[in-house]
Amino acid sequence: MKQFGTIFQFELISYFKNKVFVGVTVFLVVVIAAVMFFPNIMDIIDGEKTEVAEEAGYSGSGDTADGAAHGEDREIQGIALLSVPTEDSQRAEEIQNAFQAAFLEYEVLLTEEEPERIKEQVISGQAECAFVLNSMTSYKYYVDNLSMYDMSTETADEVLRNIGRMEVMVSSGMSVEEANAALSVVIDHETESLGKDQMQNFFYTYIMIFALYMVILLYGQMVATNVATEKSSRAMELLITSAKPVSMMFGKVVASCLAGFIQLLAVFGSAILFYSINKNQWEGNIIVASIFDMPLELFVYMLIFFVLGFFIYAFMFGAIGSTASKVEDINTSVMPVTLLFVAGFILVIMSMSDGNVDSLLMRICSYVPFVSPMAMFTRIAMSTVPFYEILISIVVLIVSVVGIGVISAKIYRVGVLLYGTTPKIGSIIKAVRKA
Amino acid sequence: MRLELKNIRKSFGEKEVLKEISFSAESGRAFGLLGRNGAGKTTTIRILMDVFSGDKGEIQIDGNPIDYTQIRIGYLPEERGLYPKKKIIDQLIYFARLHGMKRQEAVKAIDYWLDRLGMSEYRNKRLDTLSKGNQQKIQLVTALAHDPQIVILDEPFSGLDPVNAMLLKDVVKEEIAKGKIVLFSSHQMNYIEEFCDSIAILNGGKIVLQGNIHDIKHNYVRDKLVVRSEEADAIRERFGSCCLKRTANELLIQMAGAEEKQRMMKQLTEAYDIDEIKIFEPSLNDIFVEYAGDQD
Repeated sequence: MKQFGTIFQFELISYFKNKVFVGVTVFLVVVIAAVMFFPNIMDIIDGEKTEVAEEAGYSGSGDTADGAAHGEDREIQGIALLSVPTEDSQRAEEIQNAFQAAFLEYEVLLTEEEPERIKEQVISGQAECAFVLNSMTSYKYYVDNLSMYDMSTETADEVLRNIGRMEVMVSSGMSVEEANAALSVVIDHETESLGKDQMQNFFYTYIMIFALYMVILLYGQMVATNVATEKSSRAMELLITSAKPVSMMFGKVVASCLAGFIQLLAVFGSAILFYSINKNQWEGNIIVASIFDMPLELFVYMLIFFVLGFFIYAFMFGAIGSTASKVEDINTSVMPVTLLFVAGFILVIMSMSDGNVDSLLMRICSYVPFVSPMAMFTRIAMSTVPFYEILISIVVLIVSVVGIGVISAKIYRVGVLLYGTTPKIGSIIKAVRKA
Repeated sequence: MRLELKNIRKSFGEKEVLKEISFSAESGRAFGLLGRNGAGKTTTIRILMDVFSGDKGEIQIDGNPIDYTQIRIGYLPEERGLYPKKKIIDQLIYFARLHGMKRQEAVKAIDYWLDRLGMSEYRNKRLDTLSKGNQQKIQLVTALAHDPQIVILDEPFSGLDPVNAMLLKDVVKEEIAKGKIVLFSSHQMNYIEEFCDSIAILNGGKIVLQGNIHDIKHNYVRDKLVVRSEEADAIRERFGSCCLKRTANELLIQMAGAEEKQRMMKQLTEAYDIDEIKIFEPSLNDIFVEYAGDQD
């Protein structure tokens, strides 16, 4: 126990003396500070500008200000060409107006050019896009690069559908006003999420999962490299005769866990601190506000799953590190464990973006020790999980941590004495059984 | 204090590495553990230091099973190495504390040893800024700082220049004089002869020879003659395979038995022009080559 304390202290101090560790932590805190104070900084810069403008007496007339405001509101991105299947210029204008009303971001212009010519204009960038109407129920949409979020066809469909409905209503005897009123009934609705609101907790869950992923992978690799370095520098020769392998392994893993935890705390703590200083500035931003609106209990769960998940992987990384003779071997040796972890991460992230964090696969994964820290945490954050399920998951994790800790310590005991080529898995298992 | 290893056996998988190793060493004496590479020295040392335990056998201090909480062991491994990127004082304190010292005690002892070895100026430097010989002296501090009762030195002189070797010799002599058990492992027999009273030669996991160096030499079968003569070639022709050439005109003649001495000497001196004739007394090197030569 005394040895564990000495090793723990030595390893932890090594982290704090490590320039990269300190540098990365400070860098992250500075970046967070810069982001959090950004609105304030912008205010100061804007404030200076307004002051200058006012001093110079540029108050401007109401008209121009209005016009400018109008222009800004619309934020016209370009021209949308519209080719209509009618000779009637009044009707063409009606359709143009309807499109213009729906596509505020474009200036909708009528065209009578041939489709080939229209295409050329779109390709050359003279127009952003073009709608070539074959009839009032069929059209072709031309666009240069189709964006993932392009909703133009939905909007155009709606415009044409409304025109069609309007015509039917008017022809069956309704007045234009009545028809308009019927078509533009506003429905008032309200949503109240009785469980968790995924819109709201998506971002902080994402950030926390990502932090979990980064810290476990980074520090796990560090444990492996640390052990391999001791072996390759032959400091291990002296270490194994001075301390018990179990103390060595646990001292290292617990120290790196604490170092990772302290780094997380520094980053998240400073983020919360800077946010609360600038809270007023961020109130309008739903995403940022939602990130900092996370419940405290989630923090506690994050802590539990972080520590348990960290231990499970750090033990494995430590054991792998002990079997490598050279630091260069580490990258290939840790691959299977890293892949396992990355697979878990991808699964969780995909379930999150699907919005279905309670799928069968996720339910199973939230009890499988290697992926459960991320899977169960995501479910807790984004859905409603009965407490007993959380408890089972945590108990399974604790048992696995102890089991993997014991096995890893055995591998470590054997591994640190093996030099030369990286031993085969079979020979390690044999040696561990004997140990 | 008396350290005794009794019938230690150890196998790794199918391979039996140690077969019934027994020897004993005493306070104030140096004991030489000799053997070629792979003979089982490091395994014996590791079992003695409780890195792993033997499959069979026992280690005793004054007749009682060794208690590792009471006995401090200092070790200078053959494969040297500490943390290259860390400050020397930091790692020395770390190792001293792993051996159970309090921080203050550790700092005091380390400063004493750094001073004794002329290394005080490097106290706050990183290890990898030092030369190989100086790194070795730092490593020696890790073996001695916690005032161990048993000091194990594996090839302590390799890589040291003559001045540092001299310094280390003095240190080893001091440790012996302080009443410590010094276990010495080396291939440089001159150092073994200089320090050790007793030796054990390991070969293929077995002790093939052990005892007091003086006795070993004295009891060595006196059945070989060293003959120096200008007529060496003629003598070789006469004795054939019993005769080995040592130098240009020096021969080693194997006799049928020690009792042949008188007769053979007479026969040789009468028949040839002999410059020198004497009974062969082996050096430790000769004994080592003879006993450790063929590995099973």
